[in-house]
Amino acid sequence: MSRFRLPPQIVRLILLTIGIVSSYLVARYFLTPVSFRQYGWFRGDALTELASRPTVFAGKATCEECHSEVSEKLLKHEHKNLSCEGCHGPAAAHVADPENEKEKPDKRNALACLRCHDANPSRPKSQKQIVVKEHYTIQKCTECHVPHAPLEVP
Amino acid sequence: MKEQLSRRSVLGKVIAGLVALVAAPAARATKTTVQKVLVNTSAPKGYDPTKHKWIMAVDVNRCIGCGSCADACKKENHVPEGAYYRTWIERYIIKKPKPGSLETRGEVLVDSPEGGMKGFQAVPVAKEDILHSFFVPKLCNLCAHSPCAQVCPVGATFDAPDGAVLVDPKYCIGCGFCIQACPYGCRFLNPITKTAEKCTLCYHRITRGLKPACVEVCPTQTRIFGDLKNPIPNDPIQQFFAHNRVQNLKPHLGTDPRLVYAGLDKEVR
Repeated sequence: MSRFRLPPQIVRLILLTIGIVSSYLVARYFLTPVSFRQYGWFRGDALTELASRPTVFAGKATCEECHSEVSEKLLKHEHKNLSCEGCHGPAAAHVADPENEKEKPDKRNALACLRCHDANPSRPKSQKQIVVKEHYTIQKCTECHVPHAPLEVP
Repeated sequence: MKEQLSRRSVLGKVIAGLVALVAAPAARATKTTVQKVLVNTSAPKGYDPTKHKWIMAVDVNRCIGCGSCADACKKENHVPEGAYYRTWIERYIIKKPKPGSLETRGEVLVDSPEGGMKGFQAVPVAKEDILHSFFVPKLCNLCAHSPCAQVCPVGATFDAPDGAVLVDPKYCIGCGFCIQACPYGCRFLNPITKTAEKCTLCYHRITRGLKPACVEVCPTQTRIFGDLKNPIPNDPIQQFFAHNRVQNLKPHLGTDPRLVYAGLDKEVR
């Protein structure tokens, strides 16, 4: 009885399988991001990448750093819970370059007032609302109302 | 002969060991260079996602439908023009029942013109016909068992350890499975990048200690945002849970949303 030998076609198949599997393992080793499975079945670096986007709205605390006199006045009146950027628009560009006139947040028009105070049957009754046609319409809102102190007379 | 053989074998083993010693760091170095080419990891660090658990709440009774949130979201996240919204406001109008009928409520109309971004000036129903009406801000429901993350075939959508459900734009292949899977319609395919996009809770803001843009601009404190792992004194989110009866959207689906609503009506889905 001669010693048992694998048929050559089987040997070739085994070698081929080992080759394919090992090249897959090598490719996976190099292609899987380092941070994959850091927190779970995803790339952990995606979190820091998403977090690194620049902001557009600066936040009320940032506005207060320079405009504290306005925010202190605002705190004493009805609009105390409003954020600056809700009416004046995003300010991150203004914070980055305060001298640039182009990036200065808006001085708002009547639309900013009506956005919240225009009468609408879907609004809660507690919200102060006006029907524009019945309200005094000849002048601007700000000629009778002070946005930072709504109940004060200018 | 025997000695020579053993010397050769010993030398062979030493060389193999040296090769392994050199090859292992070399492989690691090659891997990092490959990674650097594939992904840019120059993002800032210092935020530990395991030390936060973000949560959001919406008090429907307070919403005045001004649209500031939807507008701010679009600006903050550079959401493309058109009908693409990460957050939007729905208006529910419940009409009076027909006179003489025994129904308690009439037809229900739901609309969201431009996602409510510019407010709701036009009222489609005469004021006398409205039984009652209210606004519902919508956004990602922050599911604890998120269907969108389950169906993603490439691991691009995931539940972050801090409670946000995020999309890795570099892994997303834009297949749209997640958009179909989300029962709340909170996802869309960005027409420019061709990847799925959704509310990230303004991840770039909350990691810097800011509030999400929609919460920042909300004039009536309808939207409340907080961190369950780091409660602050008089935490608005704790106050919200202390003073309200809360609900989820579509609780029967078992998604267990972490976004909670107060003051919902039964028509809201």
